[in-house]
Amino acid sequence: MAQYQADIIEQLNAIEVDAHWFRRVFHTFAASFLMYYLIPDVGWIGMVKIVVPIGIVVCIAIIDYRRIRGELDHQRFFGLRNYEKGRPASYLYFGTGLLLLLLLFPQQIAVPCILCASFTDPVIGESRYYLGKKQAYLIGFLVSLFLFLLTWYRADWRVLLTISLVGATGVVVGEAKKLWFIDDDFMIQILPAILLLLVWQAALFMGVNILPAPLILPLQW
Amino acid sequence: MNNTTPQKEAIQNLLLRLELWFAPVLIVVPLVVSLVLVWDWFSRGFSVGLSRYDGELLLAILILFGNIAVDIQFLRSIRTLRKKE
Repeated sequence: MAQYQADIIEQLNAIEVDAHWFRRVFHTFAASFLMYYLIPDVGWIGMVKIVVPIGIVVCIAIIDYRRIRGELDHQRFFGLRNYEKGRPASYLYFGTGLLLLLLLFPQQIAVPCILCASFTDPVIGESRYYLGKKQAYLIGFLVSLFLFLLTWYRADWRVLLTISLVGATGVVVGEAKKLWFIDDDFMIQILPAILLLLVWQAALFMGVNILPAPLILPLQW
Repeated sequence: MNNTTPQKEAIQNLLLRLELWFAPVLIVVPLVVSLVLVWDWFSRGFSVGLSRYDGELLLAILILFGNIAVDIQFLRSIRTLRKKE
């Protein structure tokens, strides 16, 4: 298939009227999961904080496995695209990425990445339709930059600038680089997180902790 | 052909109902989360003069306006679909 044909199909998918805004609103809704950081880490609640998200993602994975095997009708899954028919759906990738961020990454790294998946992805999607790919990625880069600047505002200005540029680049590359086996909903979260993790570890290796104070503090129990 | 058209319509209706059922959750939860963050910022931070909770206010504003912007379009699309139905 020629590139222009692929682009046309992608555009047609993007304006699929009903599913279109449903997908967008699901993305922005995901920002609500930042509530996770308000939950205290102590006692049994700390355990629940780990077990429940894993349980949710495992349930989604089982449902999606049944869908791929054909036991559940693909058409009953609202908002799925045609290319998701024979592979894990984007919501599973999104959930897995979110789970990894919440459980394995420090809050300072996870928060901007979750925000980028929630807001940058829909912004790029909308812009791509109206303005074309290049401009959409430029806008996506600026939105991501803003989100990183906002969430790391307590850091030293040199760290703030470096982290924001690295993070925003990771977001745009994660969104733009299409791989058939990994969805961009996963990459847009995990790629910038890994890049920031590397920068943080490199700074730690040199004896500097660049992580600012966390934005969300757990409630007292 | 006669069999597939009603079947397609039934699936469309089912999907539409599913979307409508999800709509309140998708719209209300982010608003509640924003309010909780604002409340937490106010009660633990602003009211006692601690600035370390200011980040929660920033996030609350971001979640609130980010979601409202998309929710408006989403509700419009649902209204259009209902009219069509």
